Amino acid sequence: MRDLYKRLGISPQASDNEIGRAIEACSHTALKADASAVLGVKSRREEYDALHATLRDIGLLRARLGLTHGRYWQDSVANDFSLPPDNTCSNHDELIGRVTHAVRLHNRWQRWHGPWLLAGLLGLGIAIGMALCHWLL
Amino acid sequence: MPIARFSPFELLLLKSRKQADTAGLMLLAWVLASNGQFTEADRLRLDEVAATFSHGHALEPIFEIASGQALEAVQLAAEIMQKDCCGEQAYPFLRLAIQMAIADGKPTTANHHILRFLADLLGVSPPEFARLFNDVAGKTFENPDDPSRTGYWQAKEHHRHQQEQARQEQQRQQERHSRERHSRQEQSRQEQSRREQAHSGGSGGHRQEQRHHSSHQSPPGDRARRALIVLGLEPGASRSDIRKAYRRLAQTHHPDRFFAQGEAMTASASARFQRIKNAYEYLMQVS
Repeated sequence: MRDLYKRLGISPQASDNEIGRAIEACSHTALKADASAVLGVKSRREEYDALHATLRDIGLLRARLGLTHGRYWQDSVANDFSLPPDNTCSNHDELIGRVTHAVRLHNRWQRWHGPWLLAGLLGLGIAIGMALCHWLL
Repeated sequence: MPIARFSPFELLLLKSRKQADTAGLMLLAWVLASNGQFTEADRLRLDEVAATFSHGHALEPIFEIASGQALEAVQLAAEIMQKDCCGEQAYPFLRLAIQMAIADGKPTTANHHILRFLADLLGVSPPEFARLFNDVAGKTFENPDDPSRTGYWQAKEHHRHQQEQARQEQQRQQERHSRERHSRQEQSRQEQSRREQAHSGGSGGHRQEQRHHSSHQSPPGDRARRALIVLGLEPGASRSDIRKAYRRLAQTHHPDRFFAQGEAMTASASARFQRIKNAYEYLMQVS
């Protein structure tokens, strides 16, 4: 399937007027005929848009998972919906990293006897406050 | 440094007894949700499948995540599946995915693309995947339709139109049958009364019968119209149109094409073919 929006140079959220103008300005006869037949009819456009969104998702997933040259990713779908690989870290590695970080914080808190430390600091604060009050007044 | 909040799917994975199963369920839910909305039947289907999995948590969060179309969750699930089950290990999972896709008959175009993505993800080559699909669905794995072309919509609307026509035709036939039955009863009753009249010496009965008969014959235009419907044409089609439609239909419905699919299919195809041929011959005679 071709990405008609991309080929017409408009965004998938374009209004009917914008689409009409883009189709008018298009010089490719076959594309013009197909675009007006698909995007010009409301029910057809809705169905096309749903599939378009799914394919965009798949294109993004393939780019992130290194599957842009998969054997099933070919023809016009691959041409129009492939994205350049982005450098975002893998979601799984990120999850592992966050879990490790959370575990480290938790362990540090336990090692320093966190609750006792907190209670001690609170008690010290109250004592200093009382001493200050006593001295100032 | 504060840690970013864990998403619902990440929490589910951390709780899971087997991460690959949780990820597999997430991807199956994605296949189901890509059809539009997540229906009650889809939930039951996934529930059934989940009985064989050892994930060890409730399915409700997965339904919610899949309905929300969370791409990040799908990506995470895909990463886990890619890591944990590859090649032949993925066959049972892919079989389930195919089952989900064909649950409502033919897989939708979105499902076609998702199945292809899963096959690529799990390192299953196209011939192997086509064989798997054939095993599960009993059909060949065809190329997905292309809704960005005018032809797709024309074919779809033509198909719908034909279905509509077939339904109307069926209705008409039913009505005709009931009318005929009614008229036959009427006729037999009249005949009986005539016989009684003849018995008593009346002689005008024969003429009356002739008139009666001719009034019940279908008008000549009716048969031509029906023949045109058989060929999928509108009234007023030219001879060349009729010939073209006949050749096209004869090719698709020729019994030889169905030989491999068993005797029943061949028989039904030959009945169709005969009907098409009769319609064509009649139209060629009258036009």
